[in-house]
Amino acid sequence: MGHSLIRPIIIMGVMYAVLKFVLPNIPGSAALPSSLILLYLLLTLSGIIIFETVSAESKDAFWGPMQKFLTGDNIGGLKPFRYGILIFFPLLVGWQTYNATAPSGQPPTESRVIHPAPPGEYTGLVNPVPKTPENIMQGKGFYAAFCSPCHGANFDGKGPAARGYNPPPANFADPTTIAMLQESYLFWRIKKGGVGLPIEGMPWKSAMPRWELELPDEWIWKIIMGEYDGAHQSPRTWE
Amino acid sequence: MSPGSPWGNEASMNPVKLTVQWSVYVKWVLIATLIMGGGTDGLAQESVAVRASLVSGALPVDDPNAAAWNGAAPAVFPMSPQVHWPDRIQEVTVQDLTVRALHDGTQVAFLLEYNDPTEDPDDAAAIEFMVGDKKAHFAHGQPMLLVDGGPVNIWFWKHKDNKGVDMWAKGFGTLRPHSHQDVKAKGEYANGKWRVVFSRSLVTEHPDEDMQVTPGRFVNIAFAVWDGRKDATGQLIEKGSQKAVSSWWYFRAEPPPDYSGYLYAGVAAVLALGFQFVLIRKLKEGQSA
Repeated sequence: MGHSLIRPIIIMGVMYAVLKFVLPNIPGSAALPSSLILLYLLLTLSGIIIFETVSAESKDAFWGPMQKFLTGDNIGGLKPFRYGILIFFPLLVGWQTYNATAPSGQPPTESRVIHPAPPGEYTGLVNPVPKTPENIMQGKGFYAAFCSPCHGANFDGKGPAARGYNPPPANFADPTTIAMLQESYLFWRIKKGGVGLPIEGMPWKSAMPRWELELPDEWIWKIIMGEYDGAHQSPRTWE
Repeated sequence: MSPGSPWGNEASMNPVKLTVQWSVYVKWVLIATLIMGGGTDGLAQESVAVRASLVSGALPVDDPNAAAWNGAAPAVFPMSPQVHWPDRIQEVTVQDLTVRALHDGTQVAFLLEYNDPTEDPDDAAAIEFMVGDKKAHFAHGQPMLLVDGGPVNIWFWKHKDNKGVDMWAKGFGTLRPHSHQDVKAKGEYANGKWRVVFSRSLVTEHPDEDMQVTPGRFVNIAFAVWDGRKDATGQLIEKGSQKAVSSWWYFRAEPPPDYSGYLYAGVAAVLALGFQFVLIRKLKEGQSA
């Protein structure tokens, strides 16, 4: 009979462990928000309650121990635990209410899309500059002159001018930056700069210059080649 | 209750079984606490926001060295050379800026502190705010191509004038002083460090041009500093858009203490206690029936 309560508790515990610790570690998955975990646990609990109350016997076996525990009849050494629960529950409700109603002292949360979609006219553009050693070398020279103060001589986003900027300049050596992008995407970002970002990219926070005002397109394409070569990355392709 | 319930027979009182049940219930309570707690919210990061403490009495608007500033929490912001606008610079003197703020419910005062090896007449500092609800680019409210941006309100101080200038901009080249001047500023240099106080009333009569302070509400804030040193030819090295700048951060004038959360929590706890009482009473009535 004791199994009638222990089993649901074990099921709930296992479910919680799976949602909290196992699912996030599955490749391609991510940590579940606590609200979603709570929803899944409530669904699990509902299923358990339905299952355990389908017959009069199982219903008594399921609710009986809880009723006895709450009323305190014949629970022997569990009495202190019962008092603890009866004190803990109102305190928990009060604590949750305080958290829900107390004014927040934290700044607004910001969610920035790091690689927002480019305008349609930039999709699929092909670098018109031949990928020759001379052009790559020239691109690295332009990079050193115009980009390295922020993005770093080592293409790692740690240039001498980077420290005050939030968001920080991109680290091209990181495989999650230019290696995930096509050359046409970089062309758009370099040409239009921070002020050319859509609203989800938070254009008001980006220090990236609008290089189309200062550099010809050919130089920008060469800079892109220099960036990929210097950061030891390759542009993303559709193949 | 079924007659075979372990809670109602002697076997359930076996110490070994009780130990197992206790451990299970303790785990269950811990899990419930974790769930109800909503996970781990990130702790507040310092230097994301300047917080103006609410004080009684006069603000030290004319005294950068006043003891009252010791009661204001410092926020430290890294600075970078301005690179966004073409007339850029690649190296600047000031690397970090420490900012404190106080308010008294009608006025707000900011204290900017930074290291500068030399005292020069052209040493200068500025605070920038977004105005209204529209987002503005941190570089003078530079127009954005896909987003309709707003203007910025700039409070400027220069050593040789030692006063505040209240300005407005919506992009480089549009900077102009307000026809109304609401900002006061005063700087003092000592031991290789500038301390500059800016102050203004929380609200002004020009909400379209000035940042308005509502206690409890965050507004965006950024900073700029010019080291007024000159090169060998006598030319200013940092001038105009060639300056040290910060990104957008946040500013909030702290609201008066609000204890309503404790009241709501108390009411909720009493209601939960009452619910327990009624529930147990009903259960007991059911058992005795």
